[in-house]
Amino acid sequence: MIEGTLVNLRAPEMGDLERNTRWINDREVTRFLSVRYELSSAAEEGWLRELASKPMSYERPFFAIATKDDVHIGNVNLFAVVPEDRKCELGIMIGEKAYWSQGYGTDALRTIVRFAFEEMNLNRVQLHVFAYNDRAFAAYRKAGFVEEGRRRQAHYADGAYHDAIVMSVLRDEWQP
Amino acid sequence: MIEGTLVNLRAPETGDLERNTRWYNDRDVTRFLSVRYEISSTEKGWLRDLPSKPMSYDEVFFAIDTKDGVHIGNVNLSGVVPEDRACTLGITIGEKAYWSRGYGTDAVRTVLRFAFDEMNLNRVQLGVLAYNHRAYAAYKRAGFVEEVRQRQARYAHGAYHDSIVMSVLREEWQP
Repeated sequence: MIEGTLVNLRAPEMGDLERNTRWINDREVTRFLSVRYELSSAAEEGWLRELASKPMSYERPFFAIATKDDVHIGNVNLFAVVPEDRKCELGIMIGEKAYWSQGYGTDALRTIVRFAFEEMNLNRVQLHVFAYNDRAFAAYRKAGFVEEGRRRQAHYADGAYHDAIVMSVLRDEWQP
Repeated sequence: MIEGTLVNLRAPETGDLERNTRWYNDRDVTRFLSVRYEISSTEKGWLRDLPSKPMSYDEVFFAIDTKDGVHIGNVNLSGVVPEDRACTLGITIGEKAYWSRGYGTDAVRTVLRFAFDEMNLNRVQLGVLAYNHRAYAAYKRAGFVEEVRQRQARYAHGAYHDSIVMSVLREEWQP
């Protein structure tokens, strides 16, 4: 278990299935993600079983986010790790909407970035955020991410093209 | 065959293998690419597989020929997302004698026209390493706009280098 201030990060478990399926089919959640299609619980189960049956490793660290009371509220993961460049991409979802805007996401970000730098020895963590996701953008800033640019019209959703903002945090500028 | 002004774009052929192997093992060429390791002409992999896969929406790969039929490089579109109508462009001019003479710019313009006018895409993106000034200038000439500077995104030659994301949108593109 990786301990943050408000949350802990732990390996995914099959018991997370019902919540993950609910979150990934909640349009209020997925409108901020690259998820587009509805996902059956069978498909979600197949994905989770594969994830939970393999040891977490450098290639694809995936954590469930739990509050200190052990309520599972979302997931955070690192992917597209390039060892030569010592960089990766970050994805996060707070699926339990009652826990939005209370600092849990920011704390989960800080915790996984610490893991990326201090355990995985990475140099750069990057993420994409849709330009209309002001809440996430603010959380990323609070967690130390810097805006690097804006990919124009990179994402189509809700009948229109939207910009995607690229943000990153580098090891040499990161404040634990 | 897709006709440009200085070049034509055609499907890859088995006969391209010797040149491709030479180019993708030439450090003068690959220092500007994401290729890092040496490639054998006999290894199973993308170089050998190229001519056997039908070109399609999901993976567009053209050999670049001069109007005299000299194969000088390759240009491809990958990572196509149909819902976003977006893709990523990659290009190599492997024959160094053809650098800085407009062939690359013309190949980029020609594949852009294909992306917009045939594939009906809305956005074509590319990544260019910050020290690749020649390519950056060619991309600007072909209509690309700088969008993102990914700091320290690429490690090579003993140091971290920035990588620039550029794109051209259908609505701003001038054929």
